Amino acid sequence: MVIALRTASLVVFLLLWEWAARVPISFNFPTPWATFTALIELVWSGALLQASLTSLQSLALGFGAAVLLGVPFGLVMGVVRPIGRVARIYLDLLIALPTAALIPLVILSFGISILSSAVIVFVFCAPFVTMNAYGGVRDMRPRLVEMARSFGASWGQLFARIVLPSALPMILAGLRLGLSRAFLGLIVAELLLSPFGLGRLIMDSRSMFEHDRMFATVLWTLLLSGAALAGLARLEGRLLRWRM
Amino acid sequence: MAALAASAAAAPPAPVGIGIEGVHKSFGAVHALVDINIGVRAGEFLALIGPSGCGKTTLLKSIAGLIPIDSGRITVGERVVTGPGPECSVVFQDFALMPWATVQHNVEFGLLLRGVPAKERAETARRAIAKVGLGGSFEYAYPSQLSGGMQQRVGLARALAVNPQVLLMDEPFASIDEQTRRVFQDDLLRLWSAERKTVVLVTHSMEEAIYLSDRVVVLSPRPGRVHQVLDVPLPRPRESGDVRATADFARMVDGLWQVLRKLQ
Repeated sequence: MVIALRTASLVVFLLLWEWAARVPISFNFPTPWATFTALIELVWSGALLQASLTSLQSLALGFGAAVLLGVPFGLVMGVVRPIGRVARIYLDLLIALPTAALIPLVILSFGISILSSAVIVFVFCAPFVTMNAYGGVRDMRPRLVEMARSFGASWGQLFARIVLPSALPMILAGLRLGLSRAFLGLIVAELLLSPFGLGRLIMDSRSMFEHDRMFATVLWTLLLSGAALAGLARLEGRLLRWRM
Repeated sequence: MAALAASAAAAPPAPVGIGIEGVHKSFGAVHALVDINIGVRAGEFLALIGPSGCGKTTLLKSIAGLIPIDSGRITVGERVVTGPGPECSVVFQDFALMPWATVQHNVEFGLLLRGVPAKERAETARRAIAKVGLGGSFEYAYPSQLSGGMQQRVGLARALAVNPQVLLMDEPFASIDEQTRRVFQDDLLRLWSAERKTVVLVTHSMEEAIYLSDRVVVLSPRPGRVHQVLDVPLPRPRESGDVRATADFARMVDGLWQVLRKLQ
C-alpha cells in the first residue's frame, strides 16, 4: 500500500516535471530525461564523484565538529542550569541569525579553503544539535534521578545511566535536523565562496547555461543528503527500539 | 521450589529497625515535619497515613536519605541516615521505570549500580522477577508494553533484587486498579512474611493501611506531626483468609476514619 502510494507520487511528480519543462516555463528548464542523462554522464565522467568527495570532506568536518562539541555542551547546559540559562540566549540568537550573511567574514578569516566551508557548515548546524541535547536533558523525568540516587548512584552513574539515555531521543532528532542543516550550509557556502565541490559544479554549469547538468547536480546533492538522513534514521530506530 | 531454595541460599539478612527522633524539616516557610518521633521495629509493617500535605512522603524520603532533614536523627539499624544506604529500597508511586530498558535490565539496575558482576546480576534479577510473579515471559518486554500493575511488580522486583532489609513504599498501589491492587496486596503480604523485611508504607487508603500493617501512624497536616499511632491486632496471615469481611476489620477501618475525619 505504502509502496504503491510512493511509486504513484513519484510518477505524478515526474509527469508534472515533464509537463513543466514542455510548457515551457523557461526554455532553460530541463526535462526529467535530460536531467537524468546529464546525471549519468556526470557520474561516468567522474566529475560528480570528485566534487562529492571534496564537499563531503567539508561536511564531515563541520558536522562532525558540531556533534562532538555541540552534544557535550548541550548536555552540560542541561545538567548545570545556570550555564544553560545563559548559553541558550546566544544559541537562540545563532538560530535566528541569517547565517549566509556571515560568509564573507568567514572567508576573510579562514581564506578560500575546505576549512571555510566546514566552518559555515558548523555554524549552520551546531546550534540545532546543541539545543536538542539541552532540551533532551531538560525533558528528563526527575523521578528517575531520585530512583537512581536511592540505589546510591554516583554522579558519573547518574549521568551515564539516566541523563544520557533520557536525552538520547532528542539528541538523535537533533542530529537529523543538524545534518539537513549541514547540507544546506554546505551548498550555500560552496555557491558563495569556494571554487570546488558540488557548489562549484552547480555554479559552473549555470554559467555555461548547461541547466540539465546544474539540475543533475542539485538532484545528486538531494540524493546524498537523503541517503545520509536515512542512515541516521536507521541508527535512531536501532538505538530507540524501546519506542517502537 | 527452586526459587525457595535459591532465596534460602542468598541468606536474607536479619531485618533492622528504624529510629526517627525529633525530626524537623521545612521547605522555606512551610513546616513539612515538626518533631517527628517514631520507632519502627525490626520486621514490622508500618503504614503512614494522613491528609495530603501532612508530610508522609517527605518523611519516607527522609528515611531513604533522599531528602536531608533540618534537625533530629534518623537511624536505619546502626546507621545514622545522611544519604541513601544499602539497607533501604524504595518503591515509587509512578513506578520510576526506565522506559529504554527491558524488565530484566530495570530489575538489574540496583545491582548494576553496586557493581555486581553481569552473570550474578542476571540470575538475581531473574529470581526477583519470578518472586513478584512476572517470571517466564516478561523479562524482555519494555515497561510501556506492561499494564500499570505489572509495571509496579517490576518496581517491586527491582527493590527486592538488592536484598534490602528495609522496603520503603510510597503509595505503591495508588495508580493501580482495584482488582489488581487486591491481588498485589496479598502477594506483598506473602512476600513480606517469607522474607521478613521491615516495611514502611505511605498510603492514603484506610483499608490498605489496616489490611497490610501492624501499626498505622496518622500524621496531621500543616505542620506535619504525629497525630496518633494505632495498633492493628488483626491475626496473620491475612492474605489467605477473608479478613476484609470480618467485623474487626470494618471496626478498625472505621476507627481510623474517625481519627482522620477530624484532621480534614
